[in-house]
This record gives sequence, structure tokens and C-alpha cells, in this order.
Amino acid sequence: MNHPVILSLIGAWLFATATAHAAPDRAMTVKASVDGMVCSFCAQGIVAHFKKHKAVSNVHVDLTRKLVILEEKKGSSISDREITDFIRKSGFEPKKVERSTEPFTQVKAARK
Amino acid sequence: MLGGTDSMQNFELYHSYTPKTAFGLHAMRFEDGRNDDLFAGLQHNWLLKRWNLPDAQANVYFGVGAGIAKEEGNSWSPAGLGFFRADYETRRIFTAFETKLVGSEDVSRGVTRASIGFAPYKAEFEQLNTWLILQLEHVSGMEDDLAIIPKIRLFKGNYFLELGCSLEGAPLANFMVHF
Repeated sequence: MNHPVILSLIGAWLFATATAHAAPDRAMTVKASVDGMVCSFCAQGIVAHFKKHKAVSNVHVDLTRKLVILEEKKGSSISDREITDFIRKSGFEPKKVERSTEPFTQVKAARK
Repeated sequence: MLGGTDSMQNFELYHSYTPKTAFGLHAMRFEDGRNDDLFAGLQHNWLLKRWNLPDAQANVYFGVGAGIAKEEGNSWSPAGLGFFRADYETRRIFTAFETKLVGSEDVSRGVTRASIGFAPYKAEFEQLNTWLILQLEHVSGMEDDLAIIPKIRLFKGNYFLELGCSLEGAPLANFMVHF
């Protein structure tokens, strides 16, 4: 058996797992896609709620891309479940939650 | 929501205590050449069904109210209210139908509205939203009981304003704010 290869693979797996689960040192950007969000007057509550959330530093609603975009504070995290629960409570249908290290301002500025 | 026309004024203040229910105050005044009617009461509204589609939303609401009503010159008497609304909107098209019935010993009024509108541009979340809407309104018991009202709807942030004028020249204004 080739021990160095196996150990390297285990090490790589442990590193990847730790990186994925630890609270990140850099601010993560969360994109939640939402169905039914066609009216900004009706979606005001989403922004108001997430703006007050202790793990969130920035919020943006993009009606064209049907996205709620959140910037998490460094070292803090908001769960996918909490995001989808609140979007559903606001009267909309959450579809998918994605996270990336791409800066909030870039995600916000991106267009289809 | 506060507003109305020269012949009907409306005040509503609701608290949405769940995503599908709201409870609050509702007052109306009907004014025409024959008599003036007043209603004031508590109302409960239910969102019966919502369709969240990728590019549209549709809703069906139902409400009931209980309060007091009077015809000018008479005393207040117990009154009931029934409300139904269905709407469908995209970011460019808006349609709605609603009817409201108020009844008491002396007062019997029905308000039915059908609206169709379009947005000249797709406003983003932080921009001013503009809608051009044609509203047909029938108020039972009025001398001119059918009104055709072109109106402009503007909203930004938590503020909503509608201004219009019937083809007979009667102005309309509605204002709403989300707290």
C-alpha cells in the first residue's frame, strides 16, 4: 500500500472539510433565489428583517434576477434554513441558497 | 391605507400577525346627493391562496368585518362587512378584482372594482415604481354608480401613492405605508 499517497489524500480531505465548516474569516455572500418576488413594495419586509440580523452586514433584493443577496459578517453565519424560513414567512417561495466568497458588491452589481 | 374619491372615503389599518392573516380597523364613508352612510368596524382578512411563480404572483383574499353603520339622520346600528379580492401581477402587468359589501339595518352598500394596469418600465427594488392603471368602480346606491378611473400608482420603499381622476372629473387619492 502506498502510505504517503493515502496520507496525502486524508490530509487533503481533512483540510477541505475544515475549510468548508469553520466560520470563514472573510465575509461570505449568500444568494437566495426566490419565486413570486415581483413587487418591491411587498418585499420591503425581507430587507428590513435581514438588515437587523446580527450575522448580516448587507442586504440587497434584485427583482430582475429574483435574488435576495446577503453579506454575512466576518466570522458569523446565517443558516440556509433561517433564510428560507423567513422568505417563506414573507409570502414568497425560496428556491435555492448559494454561498460564495465573491464580494457582496460584485454579486450585487452583476447582471444576467 | 387612507384615501378614496369625493363620494367615498376609506381608512384601513391592519396588523399582519401571520403571513396569511391580518386584523385591524376599517372605516368608510359614502357620500352622495341622496344620503351619507358611515361604517366603522374591525376586519379580519385571510390570504386564501397565493401562487408564487417565477415571474408572477397571484393571490386570493377573503375578509369579514363587524362594526357599526349609520345613515345620515339615523342612529348607529350593528353592521357587517364582507370582502373578496383576487389579483395577478408581473413586473409589467397588474390585474385585480375586488368587491366589498357593507350591510346594516339602514345601510346597504357594495363596492366592486376591476383594475388593469401596466408598468412603463421594470423598476428595480430601490427605484420608484410607476404603474398606469385603469380602474372600473361600481358603488351601489350612488347616483353615478359606475366610474371609469385612470390612475397612476407610485411606490418606493415603504410608501405607496395613487392619484387618479374619473372620466366625470372626480379625483381619487390613496396613500399607504408599511410599518
